[in-house]
Order: sequence, then C-alpha cells, then structure tokens
Amino acid sequence: MIERLILWMIGAPLLGGIVLLCLPRRLQAFKSLVSVLLTALTMGTAAYLYGKEALFTIPWTGFGIEFSLRLYHFSALILACVSVFAFLIALYCSVFMRGKKGAGLFISYVLLTLAMVDGAVLSNNLVVFLFFWESLLILLFTMIAVEKKSAFSAAVKAFILVGISDVCLMVGIAIAGYLAGTFDMSQMHLPLDVMGSVAFMLLVIGAIAKAGSMPFHSWIPDAATEAPLPFMALLPAAIEKLLGIYFLVRICNDLFQFTPASGVSIALMVIGACTIIFAVMMALIQKDFKRLLSYHAISQVGYMILGIGTALPIGIIGGLFHMLNNALYKSCLFLSGGAVEHQTGTTNLEKLGGLGRKMPVTFICFTVAAVSISGVPPFNGFFSKELVYDAALERGVIFYLAAVIGSFFTAASFLKLGHAAFLGPLNTAYSKVKEVSWRMALPMVVLAGLCIAFGLWNALPINTFFAPVLGGEPAGGHHAMAGFPANTKLVLITVVVLICALINHIFGVQSRGSGLKAADHIHYAPVLKDIYERAERRFFDPFDIGLKSIGWFSRALWMCDRGIDWIYDVGTVRISAFGTRILKRSHTGNYALYLVWSIIGMGFVVFFILRGR
Amino acid sequence: MLSLFIILPLAITVIVNILPKKMVYPLIGAVVGMVALVQMAAVFLPVSQPLEIMRSLGELVRWDLAVDSLTLVMLLSIGVVVAVTVLAGTQLIKDKEQYFQFANLVLLTLTGMNGVVLVRDIFSLYVFLEITGVASFILIALQKDSDGLEGAFKYILFSAVATIFMLSAIGIFIMSAGGTSFGAIQAALQASSGNIMVLLAIAAFMTGLFMKSGLMPFHGWVPDAYEGAPAPVSVMLAGVVTKAVGVYTLLRVVYSVIGFTPQVKMILMGFGVISIVLGALAALGQTNLKRLLAYSSISQVGYIVLSFGCGTALGFAGALFHMFNHALFKSLLFVNSASIEKATGLKDMERMGGLGSKMPLTGLSAGIGALSTAGIPPFSGFWSKLVIVVALWQAGLPVYAVIAVLASVLTLAYMLMFQRKVFWGKTLEGFQQVREAGFGLMVPTIVLALAIVGLGIGFPLLFNTFMLPVDRLW
Repeated sequence: MIERLILWMIGAPLLGGIVLLCLPRRLQAFKSLVSVLLTALTMGTAAYLYGKEALFTIPWTGFGIEFSLRLYHFSALILACVSVFAFLIALYCSVFMRGKKGAGLFISYVLLTLAMVDGAVLSNNLVVFLFFWESLLILLFTMIAVEKKSAFSAAVKAFILVGISDVCLMVGIAIAGYLAGTFDMSQMHLPLDVMGSVAFMLLVIGAIAKAGSMPFHSWIPDAATEAPLPFMALLPAAIEKLLGIYFLVRICNDLFQFTPASGVSIALMVIGACTIIFAVMMALIQKDFKRLLSYHAISQVGYMILGIGTALPIGIIGGLFHMLNNALYKSCLFLSGGAVEHQTGTTNLEKLGGLGRKMPVTFICFTVAAVSISGVPPFNGFFSKELVYDAALERGVIFYLAAVIGSFFTAASFLKLGHAAFLGPLNTAYSKVKEVSWRMALPMVVLAGLCIAFGLWNALPINTFFAPVLGGEPAGGHHAMAGFPANTKLVLITVVVLICALINHIFGVQSRGSGLKAADHIHYAPVLKDIYERAERRFFDPFDIGLKSIGWFSRALWMCDRGIDWIYDVGTVRISAFGTRILKRSHTGNYALYLVWSIIGMGFVVFFILRGR
Repeated sequence: MLSLFIILPLAITVIVNILPKKMVYPLIGAVVGMVALVQMAAVFLPVSQPLEIMRSLGELVRWDLAVDSLTLVMLLSIGVVVAVTVLAGTQLIKDKEQYFQFANLVLLTLTGMNGVVLVRDIFSLYVFLEITGVASFILIALQKDSDGLEGAFKYILFSAVATIFMLSAIGIFIMSAGGTSFGAIQAALQASSGNIMVLLAIAAFMTGLFMKSGLMPFHGWVPDAYEGAPAPVSVMLAGVVTKAVGVYTLLRVVYSVIGFTPQVKMILMGFGVISIVLGALAALGQTNLKRLLAYSSISQVGYIVLSFGCGTALGFAGALFHMFNHALFKSLLFVNSASIEKATGLKDMERMGGLGSKMPLTGLSAGIGALSTAGIPPFSGFWSKLVIVVALWQAGLPVYAVIAVLASVLTLAYMLMFQRKVFWGKTLEGFQQVREAGFGLMVPTIVLALAIVGLGIGFPLLFNTFMLPVDRLW
C-alpha cells in the first residue's frame, strides 16, 4: 500500500502533467481545476505518508543501478513541504496566469516539476536521483522561457549555469559510486580523504547550485524579471531550495563522514558567508520588486549553507529550519509581489507606492514575511538565524560577523522595499487598485500565518521535523535548540543590529527624501559606488566572465567542428559520388560486359573454393 | 497435405483455362487473391507433417517436401506479395485478356515458388526454379514494349547461363551421390570433400545461385528486368521471385547440402559486402525510380547473404527476418512507384517534385518504407538490421558489422534523395491535377505500411515464432 502511494506521488503529477500538455488551449479553466485538485491530492497523500517508512526497489539497468525509492523521516518531510508549496502555487496560478500566454503549458510544467522533485527526494539510488534531478533542469528551462520571447536568453543562461553544476554533480556521483562500490544512498558513508573530498565538493556544487548559491546564482535575478512570477515563487524561492538543501544535508550527513574537522567544512562556510554578503549587498540597490526579492533568494541560501557547513548539530538544524522558513516567507514575498503586479501591471518600485491602504491583506502578509526574513523576534526567521549564528560563532568570529552584517542589510533592504511599495504617496494611476481575489490571497495568508506559527511554536518544527534528521544525537547537544535562544548575548546583538538598520533607514529617508532612495547613501558611498557600478554591468557575473574567457576555446572547437563537418558533408559525399560515377560509367547496358563480370565473379568463387582443398 | 501448396494453384490454373471465358474473366483476380490469402492463413495452421515423400520418376527422382521456419517465412512472404501483386494488377492492367494472362502467370509463378521452398531434393528444386523462371520471363515481357522485352531477354540470358552452371553441378552431384535428396548429396559431398570435380561443382552451383539472386557482380540483369517489367510484376519480382529462386535457394543449399566451410563463409560474406556497398552507391546515381529501387534490392540482398554467411544461428535468423522485411518494404516501395507512375505517367525522378501534397498516402507510406529500408526505428527494418549487426559482432566479425552499419547511412542517403526529389518541396507545374491512385493500389499501400509499423512495434511476435526456431535447425 505505502509502496503504491510512493509511486503515486511521482506518477500522479507526471501523468497529469503529460495529459494537460496534450489538451487544447481552450480548456484552460479545466486545466487549472485539474492541477489544483491533483496537487491537493498529492498534498493529502504526502500528509498521510508523513511518519511512515518504506523501501521500494525494482531492478533497473543493472550494474548496481536499481530503481529504488526510500521513504523515511527526512524525505517524507521534504515531500510534504514540496506538495504544500505546489498546491499553493497551483491555486495562485489559477488566477494569476489566467489569460496569459503559455498559461496551460506553465501549469503542466508545475505538475511535472512536482513529479520530478518528488522522485528526486524519494530516490535512494544516486543514478535514479540524477535522472530526476536532470529532468528538473529541462523543466527549469521551459518554465522560464514559456511566457515571453525575451525570456529565452535568461532561460539559456539558467540552463548553462545549472547544467554546468549538474555535470559536476554527475562526475561527483560517478566518483562517489566508484569509491563506495555502490550507488545505494543508504549504504554510502565515505571518508573524506583526498578523492572523497573531490567527490564531496562536486556533489556540493550540484546541490548548492540548485539551491541558488553563489557562484551559480546569476540566472536568478535575470529570470526574476523575465519568467512568470509564480515560477519564482515555486522554483528558486521554494522547491529548488528545499531540494538543494535536502541533498546538501544528505551529502553531509549520509553520504560522507562530514565532521567539523574536515577541510571541506571551511570551504562550505566560506561559500555560505560570501553568498550572504554579496547577494544582500546587491539586493539593497535594486529598483524592481521581483529583482530585489531574487537577490534575497540567493542571500538566504548563504545562511543555510553556512549553518550546514559548520557541521555542528545546532548549525545543521538551524540551516534546515532556515530552509523551511525561507521557503515560507520567500514564497509569500514573491506572491505578494505577484499580487502587486497582477493589480497594477508593474513591479517597478519607482512607479509604485502607497499601495498599503488599497491592498491591506497583501500589505499585511508582506510585512509579516519581511519581518520574518529580517530576523525580528518572535517570527520564524529569527529563531533559525539565531541557531545559525550560534553555530557560526563557535566555528569562527568572522563567519558570525558575515551573518550579522547580512542580517543588517536584509533588514535595510526590506525597509526600503516595503516603504517604496506600500507606504508613501500613491501613484495617481493606481487610485482604483483593489485587493486581489481570495484564490490569490489565500496562499499568501497561509504562508504568512505559518511564518508566525513556526516562530511562536518553534519547538514543533525543530523537535519533530528536524531533530530526527540527525538521527542518534537529537536536540540535545550543548544547547536546547527549541524555545527562546539560550544565548541571550547573541539575541541582544541581533536586536541592536535591527535597530541600527531602522535608524539607517530613517537616516536614508531623511537625507534622500523617499523610501526608495533610503539606501542610496550606501549605494553611492565612496568605494562601494565603483564596485556596484561594475556589478550592475555584470562585471562579476560568472556566466559573463565564462562567456568571455571561453572564446578562444570555442573557436578551437569550432575549427574542429568544421573539420568533422567537412568529413561528413564534403569528404564522404565526394568519395561516394566518385564511386557512384565509376559504377554508372561501367554500367553501359552491354550484355557481354555484364556476363564477363559474372564470369570473373565465378573465377573468384572457384578460386576460394579450391583453396579449401 | 504439404503438396497442396503446389497442387492447388496448379489445379486452379488448369481449371480457369477450361471454364468459359465469360465466367472466368471477372473472377480471375479474386480467385488468385483467395489462393494467396489461403496460403497466408495456412502458414499459421499446423498444416502438415514435417516431411512428405512422393516418388515421381521411380527410385532416382523423389519428391521430398518439408517445412521448417525458413520455409514458413517464405510461404508467408510469397502469399503476401502475390496478393498485393494481383490487387495492384487490377489498377494497372486494364485490358481484360491481358489481365487474365497476367493472373494465370502469377498463379504459375506461385506454384513454382511454393515448390522451390518446399522441396528437399536437388532435381525437383531445379524443376521448380525453371517453372518460376519461365513464368517470370513472360510476365516481364507481358506488355510487349521494348523495355519489357529487353529486361526479359536479359533475365533469360542470365538465367540460361546460371542454369547451365547449376545443371552441370547437379549432374556431378547425382553422379557422386547416386540420389537426389539433400541428405544423400550432403553425405556424398562430405565423403569426397577433397575431390576437385565436386569442388568445381559446388563453385558452379553457387555461381548460378548468385546470378539468380542478383548479387554484385552477377547483377547485370536486375535493374533492366525490374525496370522493364510492368509495375505489378516488378512488385512480385523484387519482393519474392528473386528471393525465392535466388536467395532462399542459396540459403537452403548452403545450409543443407554444401555446409559452412570457412571458404563458403568467406565467399558469401565477401559478395554480400560488395553488393551492400556497391549496390547502395549505384542506387545513389540513379534518376529512374524503379532502377533506384532495383539497386536498393541488390544492396539489401547483400545484407541477407552477409548475415547468413557469418554462419551462426543468430545470423541465420537475421537473414530470414531481413528477407521477410525486405518482401514487405520493397513491395511497398514498388507499389508506391506504381502509384506514382499511374498518377503522373513518369518514372524519371528528375521530372517529379512536390508530389507529397497531392498524394499524401503514397508519400507517407513511401517514407515508412524508405525508413524501414534504412533501418530506422521503430520500423521493422530496424530490428532485422540490428539482429544482423549483433550477429556479425558476436561472430567475431566487427569489420563487417561496421560496414553494415555505415552502409545503412548510404541507404538512408539514397532513400532520402528519392523522397526529396519525388515528394518534398513545391508541387511542380503540371502536377496540379494529380490525385492518389485508386483502390487497388491504395489498399496494399496501407496494409503494407501498417504491417511495417506493426512489425516494428511488435517485433518479438514474428521473430520469436518464426525466426528464432532456426536455432533448432542448427
């Protein structure tokens, strides 16, 4: 029974997605309905499966590669989270995408994505995992490109960046499988020696690129402005993070013997810290609702990677908790951005303003999510960040500082965003704007409500969801993790930092005159100004750097390619044309000649037969 | 029971010629078609005891009939192609008298071919070869046009030479064995394996069969005969006649009489590869559609002989499967060429263009046939070529396997050339009124195309029932 339900988790959305792809465009309303129902069903199944364990295995390609799915605590948890998000997004899409180009395609892709994510989370064999994981890459491409022609280049960028990291992942899987002698994830527990570290880092690159960490992040802001908005809420903000961090934790916890002493731990923490700082600095200066949020989607991953990279139980749990929290508030933020876009038609902050009174529900949801992401007590983001701070401080002050500075800028940028979009004078063009319909509001309200609930009752997620992930050593360690943070000094520092951010904002508003420009004094600060200017020109974009530096290499390949083409297109054609010409010329229609050929042929037959004597 | 396969068509030939013409003329096509359908059905029935012996000329000449999977596959393809031929004939041969003659000759050819695939003694084999041959000569020249007469004459000439070789060889075989059954001759050949006369006889016999199958460089008659023959006759010639009298007989004689010595294998594979490559190259240079298909036939016969020549059970199965597939796709392509000829009056590809939009069914089915010939999945030709390549590889002949694969590319090249010149592009001036040919050509087109797709998808059905049991023969 449970085995069948596991297959249903993958099969139902997969089949649904394929069927919806085949249906004509006229049935848009029906498609939306089906997608909502299917995701609701999957959500119900996931809820039923939570807390159960099962192993489903059928032989696949051989060579130790079995189609093996494993349901246990961790995968069931991620499965449940993913299906909740998919349901909310499907509901939201049914209004938001109505009448838009590619709406039907998009909703099918949502279902297919759900199927592939479920498959990746459930798979217990690295090769099966890779299969589902790579399918997501294709879906990522199609979902970005579905709406506009101009989105195509953003889609290509995403495809290449994620594709490169996926190649790393593939190589990592090959090495890990070779070292372990098996692809079975539950039997792998490799030591981190030299080859092990290489495999570890390759796998980590795959995982964190999916989660959207630096340096594989630069497609996210581009996609944010081009792709349909629910895409951002669904993939980069929620599901890819869940999946990427899930896999990162599997790598650290199960596949390798990852301890604070291993060198790769430092590497992970450095990646995390850099991601936090650089992405949030970029977020601060954005002037577009979605683009600003997308940089935060990158920055928040830094906290998770930092937490998990500490290799301390408190850090890993903090990272996981932050992953869940981030999925909640980030989707909520994206959805509120979508609500604004749906009602006003723009996400440009220079045109927006004063929407708070016109769209009170959206504004409240936005506010709750914004204070959560800024880490204000007692919302959920505060608790997970405190756990990460605690772990980071234990591993090194520098990491702690990076995290706290990131927190400062997060708060500052959200003050700016909220101020620019919802407060201040209302643009006269939007005087007739109304609140969104309940189907769009419901997902936001649910997500915002969860932000508050997971903050107030943080013991629930920490103790029941995440502590069992670590297996043997649960919430114990040296701190109790649930409840109010034990280290009150850290809490004090956090509060001071938040107050600093508020003061900074007020200072900015007074000196520059509007909410939107509240961060300009940082933007145009002496040294930062130049750096920002270059960053805006994509000077630091690894994709563009790669494109530039790869020029000579691609020219060489092009020459090779021409050569091979010549062999195919010209060389072989000439040779066969030559043969054809000779044959044509020799077929004169002369009977005698043809008979002579036959006799010559017979001569060969006789010769060979007699040789056997 | 087995003799019914031979006696029934022969008896019907006699009966239809006795009955009054008024009664027979409208029915003759249906009668021949029925015979072919009954034959197809009979293949799937447990018709007969495996071996049946009849004595005709005292002790010396016996009439041994037997079935095995090789025979069954041949009987099935003969049934299919003959049915297609008579049906296509209704469209293409309008003169009643001529159609009557045509149907009679087809029945006679059917008799001959059934005899060829059923008998198990060398003299009767020769007799049936001649029956088939003579009936086909007349069929080729049926319309008495110059192309037909030329093709028929070339065929007669080559057949005569081949017959001389084979008959002298048979003489030597009978002298050394004292009997005509395959078993007796095989034993005698093994006993006197070093004898130079016997070896020469083997060489002569194989040469004769090479000429009949139209392998390169014994192929001089093939393009002219296929091109010159009336359209429905080309279907039968290419689909089964040369396969039965040439390739099947070669397989049967090598397998049950001569045996696989290393020299025989080498000869078979050598001429097989030569035919594959040169046939494909020659096909590339053709402008006449039927000649292109004729050279393609040579090339495909090369595949069959190559696969058989590797001397393993799988190679035999592959050869058999490809022979059956060839009967399907080559008949389909010849039917397509007949439709085109009927619709436009042309055989020259250079003067056609853009017919696909006017003749969608013909275009589509020709595409299926072409892709199946080239060995593209999911069509049935893919599987037989795959089996052939696998068999060659397993037999330790990677070079031949690679050549077989590469030659598929050549096959695809000339088949695509044919598609492009005839069907693709803008419809040329003067073809605006062109429409699909009628019922008699469309039914076989559709049935054959569906059979190719169906066999491609349900490939194990036929392969496991008919082709793999050759294992037991081994």
